[in-house]
Amino acid sequence: MSKHLIPAALLWVVLTAIGEATFLLDWLPVVGSPEAEEWDLIFNVLLAMGIPVFTFVVAALVYAFTNFKTSNDGVETGATFKGTGMFPKVWLVATSALVAVAMVIGLVSLSNLQADKSGYGWGEDQAPLVIETTAQRFSWTFSYKDKNVELLSAKDSELLLPIDTEVKFELNSIDVIHSLWIPAFRMKIDAIPGRTTFLTVEPHKLGSFETDENFRVQCAELCGLNHTIMSMHIRVVEQAEFDAWLASKQAKVSR
Amino acid sequence: MYAATTIGGGLGTGLLSFYLGIGVAALLRTMFGYDAWDRDFNATIGYIFGLVGWLMGVGMWGTWGREWFGLKIKDPHANSRKELGWQRYFMFNVDHKVIGIQYLATFLVVFMTAGLMAMIIRLELMGSGQDFISNKTYNTVLGMHGIMMVAVAVAAVVGGLGNYAVPLMIGADDMAFPRMNALSYWLVPPVAVTLLLSPFLGGLETGWTAYPPLSVLTDSAQTFWNVAIITFGLSSILGGLNFVVTVMFMRAPGMTWGRLPMFVWSMFVTAWLALLYTQGFAVALIMVTLDRIAGMGFFDAERGGDPLLYQHVFWFYSHPAVYIMILPGFGIALEVIGHFSRKPLFAYRYAVGAFLGILGLSGVVWAHHMFTAGIPNYLHGPFLVATELISIPTGLIFLSALGTIWMGKLWLRTPMLFALAVIFNFACGGVTGIFLADVPTDIHLQDTYFVVAHFHYTIVGGEIFGLFAGIYYWFPKMTGKMYNEKLAKLHFWWMFIGFNLTFFIMHWPGIEGMNRRIADYPESLQTANLIVSLSAFLLGSSFIVFIYNFINSWVRGPAAEANPWGARTLEWQTSSPPPVENFLTPPVIAGHPYDYGVPGAAPHVTFFPPAVGSPAGGGGGGQ
Repeated sequence: MSKHLIPAALLWVVLTAIGEATFLLDWLPVVGSPEAEEWDLIFNVLLAMGIPVFTFVVAALVYAFTNFKTSNDGVETGATFKGTGMFPKVWLVATSALVAVAMVIGLVSLSNLQADKSGYGWGEDQAPLVIETTAQRFSWTFSYKDKNVELLSAKDSELLLPIDTEVKFELNSIDVIHSLWIPAFRMKIDAIPGRTTFLTVEPHKLGSFETDENFRVQCAELCGLNHTIMSMHIRVVEQAEFDAWLASKQAKVSR
Repeated sequence: MYAATTIGGGLGTGLLSFYLGIGVAALLRTMFGYDAWDRDFNATIGYIFGLVGWLMGVGMWGTWGREWFGLKIKDPHANSRKELGWQRYFMFNVDHKVIGIQYLATFLVVFMTAGLMAMIIRLELMGSGQDFISNKTYNTVLGMHGIMMVAVAVAAVVGGLGNYAVPLMIGADDMAFPRMNALSYWLVPPVAVTLLLSPFLGGLETGWTAYPPLSVLTDSAQTFWNVAIITFGLSSILGGLNFVVTVMFMRAPGMTWGRLPMFVWSMFVTAWLALLYTQGFAVALIMVTLDRIAGMGFFDAERGGDPLLYQHVFWFYSHPAVYIMILPGFGIALEVIGHFSRKPLFAYRYAVGAFLGILGLSGVVWAHHMFTAGIPNYLHGPFLVATELISIPTGLIFLSALGTIWMGKLWLRTPMLFALAVIFNFACGGVTGIFLADVPTDIHLQDTYFVVAHFHYTIVGGEIFGLFAGIYYWFPKMTGKMYNEKLAKLHFWWMFIGFNLTFFIMHWPGIEGMNRRIADYPESLQTANLIVSLSAFLLGSSFIVFIYNFINSWVRGPAAEANPWGARTLEWQTSSPPPVENFLTPPVIAGHPYDYGVPGAAPHVTFFPPAVGSPAGGGGGGQ
């Protein structure tokens, strides 16, 4: 039996090495905030754990496929062990341990995300900048709280966010369910009629849709006919530029 | 003649009743001072009338009504199979083998149609920008692809292969309730027709999930869609009940639970899921329908309703439904791997335990579809834990499959290739599932193409590959003909490569920022989508080989032997195709179905008449 186990295990190691080598490539999308950094970390840890699991199955299948096949039209029979001994018990313990590790990773990172235990959303409950966001078919309205500035999503308009400041989006919907997703921050929460949901992010990288298309707000819950176009560009700018922009907007409003 | 009477009668009475229902609704509305015509209200009443009329016309009146009221009946069994010929597939036939083939043929047609819609979707997504269909058409095509494929995944294996093989494999002469079985099937054509007509009735806007408030507010064929899917759910529930009773009470003497073939186990567990949970979907859609036509306001926040209520009730069913889809795939895979490895199935009892474990856990994980839906924060942890627990029984399925092929003598015929592909594909689908069960990673991935890739890996890679394993495996039994092995292997490799290219690459645009259900996307996702589309066309074209082989072999393939695979299970111990009563002498079960090469093992089946006093049902025997 070990004459098969060793080459099969070698195959597993080789396949796993190839799989894990993908970590040499930097292929995840732009990291626009600490939330995105955290996401990339958890994703990579789970991927590093998942690859050997997948390659274990692939190695066993490929090895059996090439070494145990018969051209004898099913007349020959194989070994007669039935799996009633220790092996299934060991397997059960090993898989349960793996699952427990994945659960712990999930629960620990989840607890970091939930500052508000009974609310409906991600991140800190309080933030220096609050944007009241109203979703409707097929546009967004962003209202900078206490700043007297309101933006309606349109093809050429941009949502400006200051760098290194926590921003809390408070979401409502006036018609159907929408979802606010910002891929650069890896954050998403649905907008539901009759309930206020929130997500808090802290952009830490300057950027805009022109530099990377993941700097955008995208509706991620099918909301009807023009769901496809329900998005808006985001620009993360320095605090001074943000203040100037806000002042110019306020001037327009007061005029 | 029989076929014409059935289909003509059904269509005739169905359409007449439909218009009658619309008329009655209009009359009532006028009486109470409303406008006579309201599309959704009148159509709902018309549909209910039409459905009853259709069922009466195709045979319910002839088989149930006439008998109940003491009228002269035509005994359907009076006509021999020879006299009926091909027409038996187009009538209210109670033979489980006929019903199985009716289901299989119907859902293969639905599968190919929904597959063509996937090709339209991929054509639109091949390039960035609005290419050739409008947003409205795109949403309609998307919704139809989704719901039709869900229907295929729910019913093609259970209704088709399950109906055909389960009574044969447990040594029964038919299902427990043959007429109810026929009813389950004949509920399906009105559903298929209504879904196919939806582009002409106003299109679909909500995808297959039909979330309110959109599904309440939308001006589209939503109400038709709702009543059609509720009908389909009824068919599922009746089918589930039938399988549960059949497997519990119709087993041949000696067929103990410990000797039940894996495919039968998977059908039994699947049937429990369908029986227990399908009501959830039906209730959710009844509430949407009532919101639409009677203004109940279940999901209207302004009147005290809650849009999220729907998602909970909907996923009560729709998460267990994914196990209704995948367990049959596992069942076929283990069944085929057992026979084609020529070796006892590894850890049989653990694999059965895995099926039961999945049955138990499937009902308590639904909210993992709602991690970003704005459910209270304290709900995320428990559902994360419950969801990841399911990996443990699923791991036992892999243990059984890999342990069986290890040191076996693998007979690599087409069914075996498909069965091994189920294990390969599901390994990928299972690993990607962890990223979605884990709340923090799911926040970004939810509603992206990563999810689309994941569920195609599990459902297509797991169940549809299993479906084809089963079709090739039982083809000689069902048709009495042998398929062409070379073409079948060509189909396998073509489909396997096309499938893996399409859906493996599809994870990438999902992570990179492409959400689901959109007809257009930012330009940076262009390359990935072009590759996915081209791979999808490769996958789609593989079915041309299958259709040709399937039809050509059925019509003029060489005659098949009774047991071309040398398998130990019951269905292979009778002629191909089997006689109407399945077995000429009653079978007795003496040994385990997978004991290949075990010295001194009793054969699974003997045909001695049962000894006097031995139990008649399945209950007897040790184990």
